[in-house]
Amino acid sequence: MNGILDWFKDSAHWHGSSGVPTLLAQHTLLTFAAVLIAIAIGLPVAVWLGHLRRGGTLAVNISNVGRAIPIVALLSVLSLGYVGTANFGPFGRAGLATLITLALFALPPIITNAYTGVFEVDRDTVEAARGMGMSEREILTKVELPLAVPLIVSGIRLAVVQVWATATIAALVAGPGLGQLITEGYATYNQPEVLSGAIIVGAVALLLEGTMAFLQRVVDPLARAARS
Amino acid sequence: MVPAVADNCLTRNEWICGKYYSTRASDLASAVGQHVHIVVVSVLLGFVIAFPLALLARRYRKLELMVVGITTAIYTIPSLALFSLLVPISGLGLSINTVIVGLALYSLTVLVRNMLDGLRAVPADVKESAIGMGYSSTRMLFRVELPLALPAIMAGLRVATVSAVALTTVGAIVGYGGLGTLLINGNNTEFKAQVLATSVLCVLLAVILDVLLVGTQRLLTPWTSKAVAR
Amino acid sequence: MKKTFARIAAVLMAAPLVLTAACGSSDLSSSSKITIVGQDFTEGNIMTALYGDLLKDAGYKTQIKNFTARSVYIKPMEKNQVQISADYLSSMTDELNHEANGADAPEVATPDTAQTLAVLTKLANKVGLTPLTPAPAQDANAYAVTKKFAQANNLTTLSDLGKLGQPIKLAAAPDCATRQSCKLGLKSVYNINITAVQPLGFDSPQGKSALVKGEVQLAQVATTDATLDAQGLVILTDDQKLQNAENLVPIVNSAWLKKNAKAATALNKLSAVLTTADLTAMIDKVDSQRDEVSTVASDYLKSKGLI
Repeated sequence: MNGILDWFKDSAHWHGSSGVPTLLAQHTLLTFAAVLIAIAIGLPVAVWLGHLRRGGTLAVNISNVGRAIPIVALLSVLSLGYVGTANFGPFGRAGLATLITLALFALPPIITNAYTGVFEVDRDTVEAARGMGMSEREILTKVELPLAVPLIVSGIRLAVVQVWATATIAALVAGPGLGQLITEGYATYNQPEVLSGAIIVGAVALLLEGTMAFLQRVVDPLARAARS
Repeated sequence: MVPAVADNCLTRNEWICGKYYSTRASDLASAVGQHVHIVVVSVLLGFVIAFPLALLARRYRKLELMVVGITTAIYTIPSLALFSLLVPISGLGLSINTVIVGLALYSLTVLVRNMLDGLRAVPADVKESAIGMGYSSTRMLFRVELPLALPAIMAGLRVATVSAVALTTVGAIVGYGGLGTLLINGNNTEFKAQVLATSVLCVLLAVILDVLLVGTQRLLTPWTSKAVAR
Repeated sequence: MKKTFARIAAVLMAAPLVLTAACGSSDLSSSSKITIVGQDFTEGNIMTALYGDLLKDAGYKTQIKNFTARSVYIKPMEKNQVQISADYLSSMTDELNHEANGADAPEVATPDTAQTLAVLTKLANKVGLTPLTPAPAQDANAYAVTKKFAQANNLTTLSDLGKLGQPIKLAAAPDCATRQSCKLGLKSVYNINITAVQPLGFDSPQGKSALVKGEVQLAQVATTDATLDAQGLVILTDDQKLQNAENLVPIVNSAWLKKNAKAATALNKLSAVLTTADLTAMIDKVDSQRDEVSTVASDYLKSKGLI
């Protein structure tokens, strides 16, 4: 325990290119970039399938089973294979391989929740909207999407927390982020460093979780209606 | 003395290699056996722990924050760190149980959340009519609430199971990784056939377990014609 | 419907138990078998297989486990849950030194085999372990460059690389930056201008691939790596003897050893004959020809008349 306190007190760990602020910034960038990519790819597909009310179970099942792909292996295969290990902007060494891996990892909760959210919108509501002469596009954007938002945000929340905790694997290919503390500490018998790294990653994850939960409540129209 | 290097798909290091499967069948089989053992026992253990936690969290709102917070916190511990931390702490030592306990802890997040969601989604009028019929709270839980919450609970089980299939591979660092042990070994020696075979088997295993769970869910809840994963 | 629910639930609960029983108990601590451990890469797998075959031949029931990190099995060894490890002289010495004296303790292993063995014996005995006889075979750290780079600059030794005076990026194990045998020694002993260390692992495909692609100019490899030549890489000689002695040595739980002297005799017979060339040839069979570890190990022991 003292070792961890000492580690946190040591100012050397808070400055420079391998200091906590720098690593934290890298880790944050990596996480949000990966989740944004997953949102850009997964959300439109899932929402559209949800609107059509078909093909979604298949998409959900495929993305669910995707969770079983061991990500460490995927990262290593990608970085040794075609994607390579070149520096990729601020994402560092093997940045592209890392981003692809993490984005794939973020897809299942986003796809599953977005599809389910739209799919489960009350059919009577949708039919009523159709009866009012709304176009399919309007039904999707004005009726289904707003009602599906809570579940969609819940999926994104899960994805953010999962990717944040998993982004530590970037260190396995000498990439950026807080994983460096854990990997380096493990290699140099520095248990306090491993634990400090894990504590920082865990604490920020909880912070993210809390923030996103708050956000989720803010965007939930039903909860909002109940409050007012 | 020195044999000429044979030219086959193994020595050419091809991704797909029949000779790999024929020579390593027994290795693969025992790895799959260990993998299934770890996944099934850990998810069951997680389920057994998650159930009372979810019930407690539902009854006491203050506990809910704590339970959800702690299970989420566990989830955020990187798996590499968790397994190596468990070896000395738990007294589990270098046994398969270290991996099982670690994975069970990871599964708690999803399981507790889905149980809570499922129980919460039981319509109030259904509960009220059950109370009106004189159901005790235990009877209501097992006869009314749990069956109705089953789709959400099963959805949680599916996610937990499939995730456990992937995470089991990390158990290789304490010597029990099922297919992960072969996978990491193949990775370290750039053995392409082995990396591909073990990765594909992981996914296949997940598909089979997932299908089994969906089938079970259909049997248990014949009133829901179409199950939607959450 | 209620009945169906209960019945299926019962079957569900029972199924895993059956599965578990079918898989069998594989707990390390609860068996009468002796447990042999090592590290999880080709060489470690071969060494544990060799030890396993020798002890099986001596009448023991054995079980073999390979781990990705040594630190995982030290405590179980001290508690006699694990009886034997296939280990490396200096790495084990450093590990036990770290355990006993903290992560910042000065390094005590040296390039001298006999001297390091003496230090190791002292450290090991304190925690109830005993090193047996080390083999002549060594798997030391080495540093490789591309053949092209070596020819263009006329390099054969690490001293040559130091004299070249170029900025050098290095791919190595994550602990390199703080090790005398790595970055520190390369700078102070060889005067090599190391500008960056990429923590890609010891003798890893990633490290070698970075070297081949020119991302780094120097990579930490194993002296027993049989694939270097085919990848166009060559080891620079450690002419100033920077690297510690990494002879392969069986480490045994002391209490167990007292009752099992015949196991020590069996293992020491292997240590008497195993050379670096033997080991490299076996690794080549596994890594290049993809022969199975168990076959390679037992073939070797038979060829030496040990089993």
